[in-house]
Parts: sequence; structure tokens; C-alpha cells
Amino acid sequence: MSWRDALALARKGVTRRLGRAFLTVLSVALAAALLTALLTIAQTGRTEVLRQLAKGGPLAGIKVVAAAPDPAQIANDNARPGPPKDLGDDAVRAIAGLPEVDSVVPVVTSRMIFLPPDPPVRADTPKQPSAKVPRFFFETMVGVDMNKSSLLPVTLLAGRLPSAESLTEVAVTTGYLERLELNPLEPEAVLGTELEMGSPRVFESLGDQPLRAQWQRTVIVGVVAQEAAPGQVLAPIQQATLGRDWTRQSDAEPEGDFSIPTSPYSGLVVVARGLDSIGKVRTQITRIGYSTSAPENLIASVQRYLRVIEIVLASIGAIALVIASLGIASALLAAIRERRREIGVLKAIGARDRDVLRIFLIEASLIGAIGGAVGTLAGALIAQAVGSVVNGYLIGQGLLPIDLDLSPLIIAGGVIGSTVLAFAAGTVPARRAARLPAKEAMGVV
Amino acid sequence: MPNRAACRLRLASVSLSTPRPLESGLAIEVRGLTHSYRSDGRELRVLGDLDFNVEPGGYTSITGASGAGKTTLLTLLGGLEPPHAGCVQVGSYDLRLLSGDDLAAYRRSSVGFVFQHSGLLETLTALENVELAFTLSGTSQRRRRHKAKTLLSAVGLSERAIHQPAQLSGGERQRVAIARALANRPGLVLADEPTGNLDEASAERVVALLEELHATSRCTLVLITHNPSIAARADQRLLLTGGKLTPA
Ligand SMILES: Nc1ncnc2c1ncn2[C@@H]1O[C@H](COP(=O)(O)OP(=O)(O)O)[C@@H](O)[C@H]1O
Ligand SMILES: [Mg+2]
Repeated sequence: MSWRDALALARKGVTRRLGRAFLTVLSVALAAALLTALLTIAQTGRTEVLRQLAKGGPLAGIKVVAAAPDPAQIANDNARPGPPKDLGDDAVRAIAGLPEVDSVVPVVTSRMIFLPPDPPVRADTPKQPSAKVPRFFFETMVGVDMNKSSLLPVTLLAGRLPSAESLTEVAVTTGYLERLELNPLEPEAVLGTELEMGSPRVFESLGDQPLRAQWQRTVIVGVVAQEAAPGQVLAPIQQATLGRDWTRQSDAEPEGDFSIPTSPYSGLVVVARGLDSIGKVRTQITRIGYSTSAPENLIASVQRYLRVIEIVLASIGAIALVIASLGIASALLAAIRERRREIGVLKAIGARDRDVLRIFLIEASLIGAIGGAVGTLAGALIAQAVGSVVNGYLIGQGLLPIDLDLSPLIIAGGVIGSTVLAFAAGTVPARRAARLPAKEAMGVV
Repeated sequence: MPNRAACRLRLASVSLSTPRPLESGLAIEVRGLTHSYRSDGRELRVLGDLDFNVEPGGYTSITGASGAGKTTLLTLLGGLEPPHAGCVQVGSYDLRLLSGDDLAAYRRSSVGFVFQHSGLLETLTALENVELAFTLSGTSQRRRRHKAKTLLSAVGLSERAIHQPAQLSGGERQRVAIARALANRPGLVLADEPTGNLDEASAERVVALLEELHATSRCTLVLITHNPSIAARADQRLLLTGGKLTPA
């Protein structure tokens, strides 16, 4: 009897007796569902946690500041920088040329005076906040190449990013909303409002009040969370460069809220080839002479914890599958005791031991495959249900919803794993069936 | 014992690969057959030094009290179990020399069983049950369906092809079983009380069918029955008592 004929026979044996196999199939299905749901949740958790750590940018991002490295701080995730040191195109070229560096995005910051609109929200916003809006405040504008936002630790919360070439569009952070005593959970309220800002410059000749600003009107097009550099306004790099160049022409050192910048770039965001190269790249940048920071130790330890959680969850699922396999084995053994005569008849009409073995191995595998398929599907649905409950909670908390990480690998693994385990569980009963004497066919004692 | 000597002589001359003669029944030659069961440490001798002959294409009925060993004799003739002692020769097969896959091949190609219980697989339809015999003998998928249909209509059940055994009457089940037993044109058909569970009309129909197929296929038929009027219809009528066969 060929495998194909044995499959056809076993298929009928299982599907036309599904009532009997039902409980066995169910136990496999439950185990597979548990495994799938646990693994999917674990993997989604991992992806989300790492996404949080990466702050919307690549996980292998490294921040470089225009300062010399402090030798005592080099291995720290958040290294305190040493004395300021100019960071220009030479340094960018040197860092971009390092073997394990994928990309380098410069950041330019500029201290500015901001005049917020009053009220600071769109006219169509339902509830007008009664907050007192300051007439002006000093804040840092962070300028980056908006075309490279995917390489930066920038997460869009509302609206859109400013277009790369624009001199009139900016985005603000939730820090801006908090400064104006607005609800950070309703970032849409500030979209489309006008923000007037000025780059300061000190004119020594003006004596008592030496500060003059170059004014410019911008529109807030988006609200972001960003960690490219400290600052509540994110703008295309040209805006920050223009402001900084104006401030740089000051002919005396200002007091208080700002200082005259000398470095062409205030920092860089460097992306390494992978998590493993972060350490090496940081060492090389330190050697070039700049202070770096990256959450590498944090990521490494978080990943260790995540791995432990995954192992624990997968073990629970695997134990369930093993229990289900034992269930298959015992159900099959019972079935064989019940089907002695049928097995005898098969042999009486000419089936060889190995034909009987095949039929029962395939029956076991089919139970595993059906249970695995049903269970994996159910597990995916359970994970989805859990995901939507979690998302409901996250959205209620004003956080971004998570994407469920329903990996095809987990699904394939669930089905194949159940089938293989069931096959293994079927070997003992199938052998026993194959060895039953043919005279059982007679149905005597 | 002269019987044993004759048997040993025959052993030497028979080659396993000798093909059985086509289109005719197999001769049965049993010499000094002894078989016992061990239960609870005691040995229960069921058949003792039994001799038995059937002509090729013959029709033999065996009667005997319950527990006399009739079923045991059939399991030995049909190669379901090797005999403990003695010689069982069916056609060119010396059953003492066969085991495992060879015995399975003998059952597949040369023997057709009809049990008291029909022995149909509950999960297969009538047609699939008949097909199963062809599947086991390696008939191609296309031909086995066609052949099974032909056989089912030969036993008058083409209408019930898609029914599972539970949906058939006892007599119908036995007729399906007969169709299956005859699938591979066996030289020997062994029927163990095929009418034991049937009412008189069904029993008559089943026996008539067996006799008809025996006549057309010219196979050797050994029929065990409790029913004296059925037993009386065979060419050779035997009674099994005390582990031996005697003319009835
Ligand atoms: N596998 C077995 N183990 C032990 N005793 C058996 C076995 N099979 C049959 N017997 C015994 O052998 C005797 C003959 O049984 P059997 O051949 O079935 O008789 P019959 O078919 O004539 O009723 C009975 O006493 C029965 O109990
Ligand atoms: Mg009997």
C-alpha cells in the first residue's frame, strides 16, 4: 500500500469518525492555540518594546554631540559629554566612512524666541483652554533633513512632518503643548496654528538693549515625539541653519538664554549596521574625538529579559503540546484496543505490518495537523482579540496602538510542530497496531 | 508417522516462487495438523493430528459444536496464524514456510475471507470496502474503482455503493464482504459462519451467492456453518469433533 493510499484510508478513518477523534483534536488545537497566542504576544511585545527604545528611529541609532568625549563616560548609554568641540563636514565624512556605519544625519539647533498665537489652538477646536499663554519664550529649534526622518528618532503623533524644503512649516513636540498648558492627548488642536519666531542677535552698538531678532512666520503642521536633539520645535534643517547663522553674527557675547554657536552642526544621528556594531562604532567615533550616546546597554539587557520571557512562554506552550501529544498517544492506544478486529481484517485481506503502521502514523499526524491548523488559527484570533483590547487601552491613554506581529513562521511552526509531535506520539500505538496478530480478524477470544 | 514424512518430502520439492495455477481453485492438503492455545498457563489443544483434503475447486462444509475449533482451522488455512505442528499445503504454498510479508502476500492473492461479522471497515463505503482489496493488491487507481463497481453489481448492490456498513442490513453487509473476498480472484474462499447473524431469507441469499460465485470462479470454497440444511449442500461434508475432521 502506497503512502498515498494509506493517506486516503487514514483520512477517511479520521474525518468519518471525527466525533471520536474530536476530544483529541480539541486538545491539540487548544495547545496549538495557546502556543500561537503566547508566541505572537511575546513577539509583538518584543517588537513594541524595542520600538519604544528606538524612539521611532532605527534601533541601532547613535547620537553624536559637538563635544569631546569624556574618558570616564565612554561606555555609558547616556554619556555625559566633555568640553564643546566643533563638529563639521570633515567629522561627518570621517564618521560616514567608518566600515560599520550605515548612515549619518546631521542635526543643527538654534535658540530662538517664539511668539505663540493667542489662543494657541485652532478656531474649530471644541474646548478652548483657559490657560494663560506666555507672550514669548526662548526655545531650541531642531533642524534636520526631513527626507531622512526614518533614520531619526522621530515619531509623528499628529498631522505630518514639515516638507523638506519648506521655510514656513514646523512641527512641535508635546513639550510645546505642555508649555502652553494644552492637553498633550489632543495634539490635533495646534495643527494649522501660526507660530512666529525670531533668531536673536546681539548688536553691541545698541547699548542697553542690544538684542534684535529676525522674525519669521511659520505654521505648525505636525506634532512629534523626537530625540534628535533637545528642543520643542522640529524644522527642516535650512530654517535652523538660517537662524543660527544670524545669531552667529552677534558682535558681543549675550547673557542668559542663549550663546553664540560656533559648531557647524550641533550633533549627528549615526545609524550602525546592526545592534552588534553599536559598540564598535561608538569606540571609533570616540577615537575620532566626539562624545556619543546610544541605549546599547539598555537594549542588550531588555533583550535578555525579552528572551527569558519568550522562553518561558514558549515552554508553557510546548508543555501544552507535549501533553496534547500524550493525549494523542493514549487516545490512539485506546482506539487500537477497540479496533483490534478491524486491524485484523486489514491484515486478513492482505495488508502487511508496514501498511498498518503507515495508516496509523498518518492518522496520528492528521489529528495533529487538523488540531494544529484549527488551533493556530484560533491562537491567531485570540492574539488579535488581546491585541485589540490592548490597543483600546493604549488609545485611551493617548498612546500609539501596536501592530500585531502575526509571524507566518509562528503559524507554519504551529501547524508543522503539532503534526510532527502527533506523528511522534503515534509511533508507539502504530507499532502496536502493526504487530497485532492477523487472527484478531476472526473476532474470537 | 508416515504423514509427517510425506509432508517433509513435499517441502523439499516446493519452491516458494511457484506461481499458482490461474483460473482454478487451490487444492488443500492438511496432514497431522496440531494446534493448541495457552491460556492461564494451561495448554488447550484444539486441533490434534488433523488430516484434511479438498480437491481444487471443491466445495466443503464443516460443522461442529461451538468451541470445536472450526474458526481455528480457518485461521490456519487462511494463513492468519502459522500452524504449531503438521503440514498445511494450499496449492503450491506450504504455509509452514511462510511468515510476515510472504504470509500477507498469500492472503492477499490467494485467500478470500468472509467472516461471521462482515469485517467491513466502518469508515468506508460499500464501494470503498471492495476497492480496499484492490488497493492492497496494488491495482491502479483507475482500474480499482471500475472493478469494485463491477463486483458490487455482481452481488446486486450497485445501488448501495455509497452507503457505509452501518446503513446496510446484515445480509447486504455479507454480500459486500463476499464481493471484497472475491476481488483478487482468490483460489480459496474461507467463510466462517457467514450466515450466523442472518435471518433465514438473507442467509439463503448469501449462501446462494457464495455458491454461484464459487461455480463461476471455480475457486475452492470452505464453508463453516451451524445450519445443517446449508451444510448439506456442499460436495464434501465434514464434522469437526475432538480436534479431528470426520465425514458428516
Ligand atoms: N486466542 C485464543 N486463546 C486461547 N484460547 C482460544 C483462542 N482462540 C480460540 N480459543 C479456544 O479454542 C477453542 C476453539 O475455538 P474456535 O476455533 O473459535 O471454535 P469454533 O469456531 O469452533 O467455535 C475454544 O475453546 C476457544 O475458547
Ligand atoms: Mg467460530
